[in-house]
Amino acid sequence: MNPSNPPQAAEYGGDEVSAIVLDPGYSTTRAGFAGEDAPKSLIPTYYGKYNADGQEKLVFGDDVFVTPRPGLSIHNPIGKDGIVEDWDMAERVWEHSFMSRLTGTKAGNPFQNGLNDVSADELPTEMEVESEEKPLSDSPLLMTEPGWNPAKAREKTIEIAMEKWDTPAFYLARTGVLAAFASGKASALVIDIGASNISVTPIHDGMILKRGVQHSPLGGDYISSQIKAIFKANAPQPITITPHYLISSKSPVEAGQPPQAKYKIFPADKAPDASYRALLEERTLSEFKECVVQVWPGPTRLSAPSPTGVSNEDMARTTPGRPFEFPDGYNQVFGVDRFRAVESLFDAKAAIPDPDSTFPPSTPAQTIPELVKASLAGVDVDLRPHLLANVVVTGGSSLLYGFTDRLNHELMQMFPGPRVRVTAPGNTSERRFGSWIGGSILASLGTFHQMWISKKEYEEHGPNIVEKRCK
Amino acid sequence: MGRKRNQHKSSHRGAPMRSHHSSQRSVLPVITMPPFKDEHILLIAPGSQMTLAQLGLPETFTPARFRFPTRMFPAEKKGEYEPYRVHERRQVVKVTNGTDAPKADVEMKDAEPAAADGTPATETTVKTDENTQNNEEPTKTIEEVFYEEDPASDEGAIYPIENGRIVDWPCFFALLTHIYNTLSPPFHTPIMLVGQPIWSARDREAITQFVFEKFKAPAFSLMDSALAACYGYGTATATVIDVGKGKVDVTAVTDFAVNEHGRGIALEGCGGDAMTDRLVELLGPKGFTREMCEQLKRSNITEILPAGTPLPGSSATARQGANPAASTGGSDGEESAPRGPGDSIQTGIEGDNGEEDEGVLDVAAIVSGNPTEYLANVEKEKTITKKGAVDPKGARLPNSKKEKASFQFEEFVQLEGEKAATPGARQYVRRTRDIEVSVERFLLTSPRSKDANRLTSGILEDIATQIHHTILAVPDATKRSELWDSLIIVGCGSKVKGFTQALLAAITQKFILSPSATIFTSEIPSNFTTPLPTGANTPAPMGQPGPMYHPAAHGVNPLLVAATHNNPGIPGTPSMDPSMVSHYRSTGHSQTPTSVKTLKLPEYFPDFKDQGNSNAPGASSGSAGGNPGAPGTSQGGHGMEEAVFLGTQMAAKVFFVIDQGLSKGYMSRVEYNESGPSAIHEYIL
Repeated sequence: MNPSNPPQAAEYGGDEVSAIVLDPGYSTTRAGFAGEDAPKSLIPTYYGKYNADGQEKLVFGDDVFVTPRPGLSIHNPIGKDGIVEDWDMAERVWEHSFMSRLTGTKAGNPFQNGLNDVSADELPTEMEVESEEKPLSDSPLLMTEPGWNPAKAREKTIEIAMEKWDTPAFYLARTGVLAAFASGKASALVIDIGASNISVTPIHDGMILKRGVQHSPLGGDYISSQIKAIFKANAPQPITITPHYLISSKSPVEAGQPPQAKYKIFPADKAPDASYRALLEERTLSEFKECVVQVWPGPTRLSAPSPTGVSNEDMARTTPGRPFEFPDGYNQVFGVDRFRAVESLFDAKAAIPDPDSTFPPSTPAQTIPELVKASLAGVDVDLRPHLLANVVVTGGSSLLYGFTDRLNHELMQMFPGPRVRVTAPGNTSERRFGSWIGGSILASLGTFHQMWISKKEYEEHGPNIVEKRCK
Repeated sequence: MGRKRNQHKSSHRGAPMRSHHSSQRSVLPVITMPPFKDEHILLIAPGSQMTLAQLGLPETFTPARFRFPTRMFPAEKKGEYEPYRVHERRQVVKVTNGTDAPKADVEMKDAEPAAADGTPATETTVKTDENTQNNEEPTKTIEEVFYEEDPASDEGAIYPIENGRIVDWPCFFALLTHIYNTLSPPFHTPIMLVGQPIWSARDREAITQFVFEKFKAPAFSLMDSALAACYGYGTATATVIDVGKGKVDVTAVTDFAVNEHGRGIALEGCGGDAMTDRLVELLGPKGFTREMCEQLKRSNITEILPAGTPLPGSSATARQGANPAASTGGSDGEESAPRGPGDSIQTGIEGDNGEEDEGVLDVAAIVSGNPTEYLANVEKEKTITKKGAVDPKGARLPNSKKEKASFQFEEFVQLEGEKAATPGARQYVRRTRDIEVSVERFLLTSPRSKDANRLTSGILEDIATQIHHTILAVPDATKRSELWDSLIIVGCGSKVKGFTQALLAAITQKFILSPSATIFTSEIPSNFTTPLPTGANTPAPMGQPGPMYHPAAHGVNPLLVAATHNNPGIPGTPSMDPSMVSHYRSTGHSQTPTSVKTLKLPEYFPDFKDQGNSNAPGASSGSAGGNPGAPGTSQGGHGMEEAVFLGTQMAAKVFFVIDQGLSKGYMSRVEYNESGPSAIHEYIL
């Protein structure tokens, strides 16, 4: 084509609209366009609520971590078991996840300030605007759900997508299946270590084997509670985490010495809620998990004696510790404790008791090896070797140092017969966004087009169609 | 490369070139058109306040040649926009019946001065002043309506970008069109636009579609502003802090890739306006206008002191109240200087203010003249101005030690009537006078007392917290330390003296890890330095590293710091199980930050050296009345805060000229025609 001739208007192919993939988790919500290799939008599922100028204001996105606000309290629309509890707010959070970075907002919509501060008062107007301009009216939407999502929740999901967002086509896929796709497998045993849950999902030929789906609450948040228990029992003095927002400055102290920091004092009527502090403590704990916590690599458990006769625990003691400094400047080296925090994921007896913890003491059946055992017991005997040869590890908490090594040892000990092969992407983002990436692959496949539930079909059959079509 | 370009230069427009091309460059898949040339590249960097633009890349990169205020004015016809405020001016003119008189028709006779009320515009063309003046012999009078552009007014302006977000699309597109028409590039001109982080994917598609369909550009590149800053600094990994007018963006860039997750996008209430707001809050009760505060913020007496620095003379507050109040009392009179036509003529400005203010004000320096000459005179006048406000004894103290200091406030006041050289045309005088300010000038980053929405102690803490959050969200933990050591601070909001130092101090105070002895001694087992005894089963010396430490070891060896930052796998002792080696982390997942630094702008662009602050209204905000000569006047005083534009030029050079599309740095029209606007996401940098 000749560059000095202007092209015809609207000459381009035009209607290639890529689908939006929305992968809502307990801790974060991921959204992006199908066909891309990472979600463009990653926001916490937590949202904040506070009152200012006599109005209730909501805070979405990363802002909850950054700006402390008077009386701010933190909520999560999703329950501990990964099932949505507060549908209205879940809708708002999900909407924010794709509107802030992907679809944008229509001009004149009061929600256009995507980052924060949509007052409850403005809500009705916003709804009115949306009745004309719905956010997804030109993008198909693929959403994910945990394998144990009840039928009611699935119907509610398609209802929101079709009626509130006006998506022209919709599909609901299981996170486990998608994580297997992301690893290029149609049959796999997917072990997903999330924030609130760990789950084991057997997949065969792209179909979920429902009877084999197992899950337990020993996820990243449980590990945090174990770390807190360790801090509480710490010698010489217990460690308390004071998040950054409560500290105005700190001065260096020697390891193990009491912190010397200037704290901020908020007046009682302005101080953020305890839930805000908990959220920010979690932030420090995740840094701690990244920098310090390690999974005892095995082959035997931490409590077991090693082949040389010295107990594994003593062996762990001989390894150099890892230092960590808390926001208030307190710092300490963590020795064997850093192995103990995660040990209970594999060995229920190793759990550190903490009466104040919100988690009930873990039972042996909740540990990963037992979940795998139970999951395999629920599937056909012939499939088991194939599944064990295709174990896929996904989820952010599986990035704990040494996790896959240990899992490999545990599985090999439990199933000495068949060949066990653990696949875990080395790339951090592939591990964290496994199910989103699977969704991105699926929705961009040409053959997937026939799978979409179209708006017309939804109108004909009602929300129940999701049960028939998305198996 | 150079050879090929020269070859094409002679006939780059010629159509027959194409066959020649395909044979010569069959390796390159994209090229179906002649290569782009340095002088035919259009760069546009939109901001909430100023949009920088430039046609062509100069030999050595310079600050943007054109600065357009990011605003448009609604035109008479709905949906259309004008770059300047258009005034409708009604004036009684004397007309003869002679041939000189324009449109001497019937209407003239009815049009009596008395009918001035609602008579619709009888003339739609702008009359030149000569026309009216030439009509010396008075016979009849009519009222005529003149339309004239008023470059200094921002009444009724629409600002299409707010806090980086495009809030008014038709207006934004009108601005782009205005810029495009002003620079009027030839057809074969690729366009590079700097994208704000907050623009959503759909926004980017809309802009792409507009550029290709309206400007018929042969190629288009949408460059992320943070990445552009990295290009400007010539670094692959950096944390870019862009302090804008109403917002701050914090972006971690690793290996030329923007980390979208955890990115601090358009933090509101942290930009330059927040600092002005704080000054208004502090000084407003003393009679300061917002414009005064804005200029005070830009002046060189305003400074952000690192936290903990005592304010000078914090006890002496007695005098403080009187003086600024008095000086602003005078200013109020001036502020309300008549603007509209028909108001009484302002005479003897110089005398008036001079006498009236001499006693009260410290200095009232008034300069009158032609608006177009103001800017040329700025520098000269600076030196002339009396500095009466400075305490004699404090004259030699550094600014941060002086309790009071004065800055030169400049404003444009409209000149009317006989004073004006050409009657009818709007004229402005620039007046400057010195205003004395007390320690408030150091408090511009302190938290606003009435902010019900946040609890933090000032914008610096907010930005520091966001930087911490953003860097912590970078998945590759080995990069975090480098990110802390390579901060890039850009944006005009960061021009306030002391901003960078104060921000670094805020980070150090809250986040820097203490170089405690244990952090380093623990990393390296105590038997590491001694020769390993062969086969000796000696775990004892390593013991439990727990709370043991040597106070003497506090003086930290920098080598140890380096060692712990990127610690390679520490070899296990022979006694250990070989698998133990894997217990040591080789990934360098150490906590950060142990240090924080800013990057230095490369020295080889002398034009980007920081040239100090200027509070001249020309460099000032839209509310200052804009740049009278704008567009087309580029003043000095643009330094490293505009590294984004420097980076844009570099990137344009690389993508359009050197790589010729190999690096997928831009989207060509061919691709646009094939895949539509959504394909821009594959090229977004």
